[in-house]
Amino acid sequence: MSSTETARMSASAPQPGLGRKLVDIAIEYNFVLIFLVVVAIAASLSDSFLTFGNVANLFQQAAVVGVVAVGMTFVILTGNIDLSVGSVVALCGMLVAVLLSAGYPPFVAVALTALVGLSCGAAMGAISALAQVPSFIVTLAGLVSFRGITYLLTDGVPVSGLPQGFAAISSTMVPILPGFALTSMALIFIVLCIVAGIVLRFTVFGEYVYATGGNPEAARLSGLPTRLIVTSVFAISGLMAALGGILLTSRLRIGQPTAAQGLELDAIAAVVLGGTSLFGGRGSVLGTFFAVMLLQVLRNIFNLLGLGSFYQMTITGLIIIAAILLNRFIDHRKGRG
Amino acid sequence: MEGEILAVRNLSKRFPPNIVALEAASLSVRRGEVHCLLGANGAGKSTLLKIIAGAYRQTDGALLLDGREVHPRSPAEAARLGISMIYQELDLVPQLTVEQNLFLGHAPARMGFIDRRTRRKRAQQALSRVGATFPLDARVETLSVANQQLTAIARSLTMDAKIIIMDEPSASLNETELGAVFEVIRELVRQGVAILYVSHRLGELREIGDRVTVLRSGRTIDTFEVKSTPDSVLVEAIIGKERSLVERAARPPVTGETALRVNRLSGAHGLEISGLEVRWGEVVGLAGLNGSGRTSFLKALFGAHAFQGDIVLDGKPFHPRSPAAAIRRGVGLVPESRKTEGLILHAPIYSNATLPSLRGNWLARHGLQKQKATPVLNSLSTKYGRPEQAVVQLSGGNQQKVVLSKWIINGARVLLLDEPSRGLDIGAKADLYNLVDKLADEGAAVIVASSELDEIYAACDVIWVFHEGRNIGKFNPSTTDRDTILKATILGEDHVQH
Repeated sequence: MSSTETARMSASAPQPGLGRKLVDIAIEYNFVLIFLVVVAIAASLSDSFLTFGNVANLFQQAAVVGVVAVGMTFVILTGNIDLSVGSVVALCGMLVAVLLSAGYPPFVAVALTALVGLSCGAAMGAISALAQVPSFIVTLAGLVSFRGITYLLTDGVPVSGLPQGFAAISSTMVPILPGFALTSMALIFIVLCIVAGIVLRFTVFGEYVYATGGNPEAARLSGLPTRLIVTSVFAISGLMAALGGILLTSRLRIGQPTAAQGLELDAIAAVVLGGTSLFGGRGSVLGTFFAVMLLQVLRNIFNLLGLGSFYQMTITGLIIIAAILLNRFIDHRKGRG
Repeated sequence: MEGEILAVRNLSKRFPPNIVALEAASLSVRRGEVHCLLGANGAGKSTLLKIIAGAYRQTDGALLLDGREVHPRSPAEAARLGISMIYQELDLVPQLTVEQNLFLGHAPARMGFIDRRTRRKRAQQALSRVGATFPLDARVETLSVANQQLTAIARSLTMDAKIIIMDEPSASLNETELGAVFEVIRELVRQGVAILYVSHRLGELREIGDRVTVLRSGRTIDTFEVKSTPDSVLVEAIIGKERSLVERAARPPVTGETALRVNRLSGAHGLEISGLEVRWGEVVGLAGLNGSGRTSFLKALFGAHAFQGDIVLDGKPFHPRSPAAAIRRGVGLVPESRKTEGLILHAPIYSNATLPSLRGNWLARHGLQKQKATPVLNSLSTKYGRPEQAVVQLSGGNQQKVVLSKWIINGARVLLLDEPSRGLDIGAKADLYNLVDKLADEGAAVIVASSELDEIYAACDVIWVFHEGRNIGKFNPSTTDRDTILKATILGEDHVQH
């Protein structure tokens, strides 16, 4: 291999200078730069873009996909994929509404729903890990079945008339700076990103997630409980989808069985756009966070320009391709291709 | 030059930003010769081969085929020119048949439809040229590695190769299989094909090579006539200074208590081991042909393969149901393939080294991990830049040291090493076995499986010969000569005197 041959030489290479280091950082965190460029474009297109109100709005709208994408990051880091999250969001969004309208107090309803989401994920993860079935298939089955259960809950009828206190979960305004407040659901998204980032970077579980994705066999032969790890990341993804569903229902004040169709694709797109490798072992929540916001800003630009959703869909797809090509190029440059 | 088919003139290759893989490599291969290429890991062999085969482009220098300068821009183009490369991991499609593989990418076709009759006829011819006895319709995955090798050679023939490059074909073959491959090579050479043969093993070179070119640090050192050049000259050219081959040193008798005793162990594919014992401070070698059960045995001991049996470790029964369980009892495995089983290639060196010892903690403290990894890596004299470097950037020998360091850091006292020296150059091998010796001196119980008898003959206190899944004979290398053991590995039980 070229890489083994080059080792001797690179080991003796001089320490890179400061300028070189800055370039490396810029390349590593290219998604931040791209995000800033898009924000600059947006700001130049519309004066109303960089207002507190609009920024708060961006976070609010990104929160549901964002929370789901955080869970998806864990799954993709292990080299798996979770196609069921859209359906789990809908299922849990309906379930919490059904429980509330049956008179359960919000705290109990939320806790039960979270537990159901976690169990859905854990069950799929366990099937995939124990029976050695590709997660693509298991979660594809989950996508169909969970959507079916969602309709079965109320025979397809939306549930409305939810208590005022439940709406507070998503819509409480929390002041951040003078004159700038974020909704609680936006804040929940941000906090979850930070927690996930800390878990992945500073816990042994996080190391195990990267190791399992990087080389499952080497991880197993190093004594890692790889099946448990895979089950856990799907449980996390299920839990995040449940939270997404709860936030969605809380914001809309209605449980919609048709909600969140295709949400899994938005979440996967965000994770990959954020630089996480679909083969596992490489990536970060920071990337996912910026990618979620980037996609939201794009949507916002289109709305400000008055371009319809057909344009949005087309151009979003092109941007994802461009970002993936950029990452391939960077990998190639670093000799990882 | 007379009969020259391939000339390489002052080839250099730089990888951005500042890595020089080839400096000034030159080579001249004649029609009808087996030209060997020798060099330590990192000498630039693979890079040179890849340039010749069109997988890389050189930064500088020229490539002449039949006296004409050529610039193959892809492996396909090189193949059309008559340069064919057989990679170490054979690039055959295991699910397809031999016939399909032979013509993959250049199947005779009419208007997009495969001309099956022509293909069959030409496939038949190619197979008979390599003396193959397996059917054309066999799927490649059902063939032995040796037969896959023959298929790969036959594939080169279907492309009318003038020169066939073979990258360490012996790495996965046992001695009988290798003999068969050599027969084919000799026949092809008689027919005028040139072979560029890469290997670490001097013994092979003597058997098959006409001339040998030695590379070191990206430069051609010299080309020698194989017959008239002694080993010491070649070794000196490879490593740059006089350094002895692995030799059997006097070993003090082992006095430790029994560490591990396998009373009985039976597993899949007829694995049936009994009465095998290792003491603390002892190095036990497992010799045998490929497929004799060495790897399965070690994997079973490590809890990675299921088995039935009766094993005692440190005075207590031992029946690991997972690697994690074996690791808890102080067992460590250096697996056969460091790339697919041993390492997380793109992860940093220190996190690879500390991966098994994170168990039972909640927080991953990267500073502490580096502190734990660095002294162990240094004591193994691992050469690396920074501990945060991705392990893939290291040379094979240093990668292997990272795998070994996993178990030293985790405090393993029973070490299972499966083909630890595979793909290492002579210097790195000697280094590795010195380490094994040192670990045993410090009290570890070590089992080393290797298909290279010379290595374990030099390094072990006891050698067990495995044959078709059973341990058929125990030898003391101090009192038994090498050939007796070799014979046992090939011929099996009937030839072992108890």
